[in-house]
Amino acid sequence: MENDILQKQMEELALKLNGEYEQSLDIPVLKIKGARISEALLAAKNFNQTPCEILHDVTAVDYPDRNEIEVVYHLSSFTGPYMIRIKATIDRDNPVIDSATKIWAGADFPERECFDLVGVQFSGHPNLKRILLWDDFEGHPLRKDYVVPSIEERKILRAVKPGE
Amino acid sequence: MLRTEQIEINIGPQHPSTHGVFRMVVTLDGEVVTKVEPRVGYLHRGLEKLAESRTYTQFIPYTDRLDYLASIQNNTGYVLTVEKLLGVEVPERAEYLRIIFCELQRIASHLIATGCNSLDVGGWTPFEFCLRDREKILDLFEMTVGGRMTINMTRIGGMPEPPEEFWPALRTFVNEFPRSIDEYNGLITGNEIFQARCKGVGVVSQELAKAISVTGPNLRATGIKWDLRKDAPYGIYDRFDFDVPVGETGDSFDRYYVRIREMEESLKIIKQAMKDIPEGPNFAKVPKVVKLPAGEVYHRVENPRGELSFYLVSDGGMKPYRLRIRGGTFVNIQVLSHIVPGWKFADLIAILASLDIVLPECDR
Repeated sequence: MENDILQKQMEELALKLNGEYEQSLDIPVLKIKGARISEALLAAKNFNQTPCEILHDVTAVDYPDRNEIEVVYHLSSFTGPYMIRIKATIDRDNPVIDSATKIWAGADFPERECFDLVGVQFSGHPNLKRILLWDDFEGHPLRKDYVVPSIEERKILRAVKPGE
Repeated sequence: MLRTEQIEINIGPQHPSTHGVFRMVVTLDGEVVTKVEPRVGYLHRGLEKLAESRTYTQFIPYTDRLDYLASIQNNTGYVLTVEKLLGVEVPERAEYLRIIFCELQRIASHLIATGCNSLDVGGWTPFEFCLRDREKILDLFEMTVGGRMTINMTRIGGMPEPPEEFWPALRTFVNEFPRSIDEYNGLITGNEIFQARCKGVGVVSQELAKAISVTGPNLRATGIKWDLRKDAPYGIYDRFDFDVPVGETGDSFDRYYVRIREMEESLKIIKQAMKDIPEGPNFAKVPKVVKLPAGEVYHRVENPRGELSFYLVSDGGMKPYRLRIRGGTFVNIQVLSHIVPGWKFADLIAILASLDIVLPECDR
């Protein structure tokens, strides 16, 4: 019952935002262009009867052969067992997308991690810095073209900055 | 007129009260905290990157190293994700064994949380009591697979069979443990000093919990009744009769007391599972080399520290194309900078202890 309502609303949203709707195992998936992500998240948060008011997770997957990055949002709820997935496609060379921190304060850390490991730029994020890796780390390890340096060439000690 | 000045101090990453390798930059006005900035990442081992170069079976031991106090549950969460995409039907006996071991692990983990919480507000004795009881659970694990902490127990398609002597030992534990809970209630719950340090301190409101998407006991302490085992059951949790304890105000004391009551509920589940566990095989037929069909799967499980979920993208090969791990600690830790300002420095330590964080899960 809940799932039917959710599916219908997802289909309507897909139509409205010019996206695609599909069902993946037990989760309805909405695929849209990165520019419309804020609209999609807000609409999903305020769904009738099945509001997806919890931002469960934000992550990103790199697809170099399509020259795209998919930013993947999983939304859930504390009222029912349903979940949805929203995938926003952005250009791999210019990976910019709106931050969800204005909608959910908890988007802060997951978005910083996406920036750190995949290199997605979240515009409007209040503190977009590396979170897991150190500040002068070069590259984004979860990009598929990232080459893991061999142990010989790896810089284990950080260079001392002048004034330290 | 006296001139006052704010000072910025650093706690951690190596500090006994930060529960691992956690660093906070704290701004103080006298003794009152005005700002806290959590800094994480000191334990980052790149597990998501490592997963891309390991086969599905090879990655199971790495999940032990997420939340090292709940390794069986991490294993189970990952294995359930793989099984969901692979479409394996797990035998009944293995399902029951998973429930028994997951709930034992939950008790062991909550014991550490309870003990450390008491330790951080100055009570050493209860901590020793908690470790004493946790030891009995670890002995049960050792009896079964040989390991105690990171034991790599759940397999794709099944669960190892415990030896003969496991069942009487488990029965003894289940019979004795309620008395230990009474001891904690006497030593910690009813302790006036503990209550003075925890009641009304570090309140997480329901709105804040929803905005941050806090999960686990920390969420239930705010009064929101949400437990995946009950509300979105996985495995065979829907067959068991248990309650979901909730708090009233969301303060440090509620976060502590929800955990105590959850241990009682876990005990209930274990008792029912011990009674109902059927005889039969404990492994399904799974190919030696696990190859998943191309596709995506998301699975979440209720861990002692909140919801742990895995997002697995497979391209049809022997290794994951991308594996994303969402740990409870990584998300829950964000509440710290919202709830601590306004409290004294010593309260910061008490609040941090009541949140029950484990850093390897946060940093991955």
